[in-house]
Amino acid sequence: MIFGLLETFNDNLLLLVLIVIGIACAVGGIPPMLERNRRRSIENALPGLLESLSDSVGAGRGIQEAMMEQSRTLTGPLGKLLKQTLEESHSSSFDAALASFSAKTRSSQVQRVMVLIETAIEQDSPLQGILSDLAMDYERLNDLMNTREEELLGRGILIVMFISIGLPVLIAFIVGLFAPASKGFQIDSFNTTFSYFFGVASAIAVGVSGRMLGRFKDALWWMPGWIALSMTLYLGAVMIVGG
Amino acid sequence: MRKLDEQREVLYVIRTLDVLMSSGVGLEAAIHTIGSGGYGIISEDFSSMMARLRKGSSRGLGPELKSMMNKADSEGYRRLLNTMYTNVTQNTDIIDTLRKQGARMENERTESVKKYIEELGAVPETLLSIGMIGPIILAIAGLVPQLMTGDLGAFMQLPPASTINAVVKGGLVVTLLAMFMIGLKAHTKDPGL
Repeated sequence: MIFGLLETFNDNLLLLVLIVIGIACAVGGIPPMLERNRRRSIENALPGLLESLSDSVGAGRGIQEAMMEQSRTLTGPLGKLLKQTLEESHSSSFDAALASFSAKTRSSQVQRVMVLIETAIEQDSPLQGILSDLAMDYERLNDLMNTREEELLGRGILIVMFISIGLPVLIAFIVGLFAPASKGFQIDSFNTTFSYFFGVASAIAVGVSGRMLGRFKDALWWMPGWIALSMTLYLGAVMIVGG
Repeated sequence: MRKLDEQREVLYVIRTLDVLMSSGVGLEAAIHTIGSGGYGIISEDFSSMMARLRKGSSRGLGPELKSMMNKADSEGYRRLLNTMYTNVTQNTDIIDTLRKQGARMENERTESVKKYIEELGAVPETLLSIGMIGPIILAIAGLVPQLMTGDLGAFMQLPPASTINAVVKGGLVVTLLAMFMIGLKAHTKDPGL
């Protein structure tokens, strides 16, 4: 039966191409996921760093000294990056170290904060208050981002599972039971039309799910794979049920 | 799209202006800093405004801010430009106003995220209902010419198979469009975090 299934797909060039592209894109989709996890872990640790810096500056330490101290106590990617950058800064200026640190984090949140710290240092502004305000601002922002992620992740997965897996299998069972090809029903053209439909529906489901979570571009990597999966599931299930 | 970009960046711009101006930086220099990049569409706006001011092809900062207000799509951005305009023309306490505006905008953002999550709660069910009902009905309709053969076919006069196929294909396209329109809500109502 497995060979029979594979033979059936031999005639469907689009599906074969989509399977190959889908596998390649799925591999390409992993680095953005890892990068996003790294970036979010840095961003979630940022308010804590700013608060500690504010306390240290309030206690009379200089910003550079406070950062050095925090780099020793902070765990995770943020602490590691900060430590590495400050070690490298011995051969350059503190401003250059801050710029290098923000570039290495690849996070717009960190980059904005560092620009503001630099400006505040240049203008000789009260750093303690600024750092404390920034900590609160970014804590609230990250809380919102995390809430959105937690609340909508399940729904996003539900949409993709229902549309890309549940729906093609359900319709394939109906078609296979009512009009089995083994009993002479001519449903080739019908199956082709419906497999395209499930492909496009899958693309919409993946796109909507990605957009809900605010990562549409990352979701695009997984789109060909889900399209291929839903088309394969439909055509395979029709053949298994209907013969 | 512009509205979404403005909504996403305006709160950061307000916070930056607050820090810059509290540090003693003037409004024009603060606009220049934001215009140098990092704040998306607002950076582009401020940069083009500064370019016109430098060239001398505008009537000054006030009229520039006023004309920018007509270009702004989001309420928050328009309010920020208005605050800046009032500061230029009437010398108001911009830092205090920016802080109040930032606090209010943050509350609005929190509310809009909550609303967004609530509104998207029904999307999976709606997508699934339309995505299932449409294909089930259309699948049965598409199979009718083959199911109603022999004695069954004598009871009812069916339209030609080509007509039924066209109806099925059209129906599937309409189903996809409906699914797309429901999914579009996830984009248009995005609070812009």
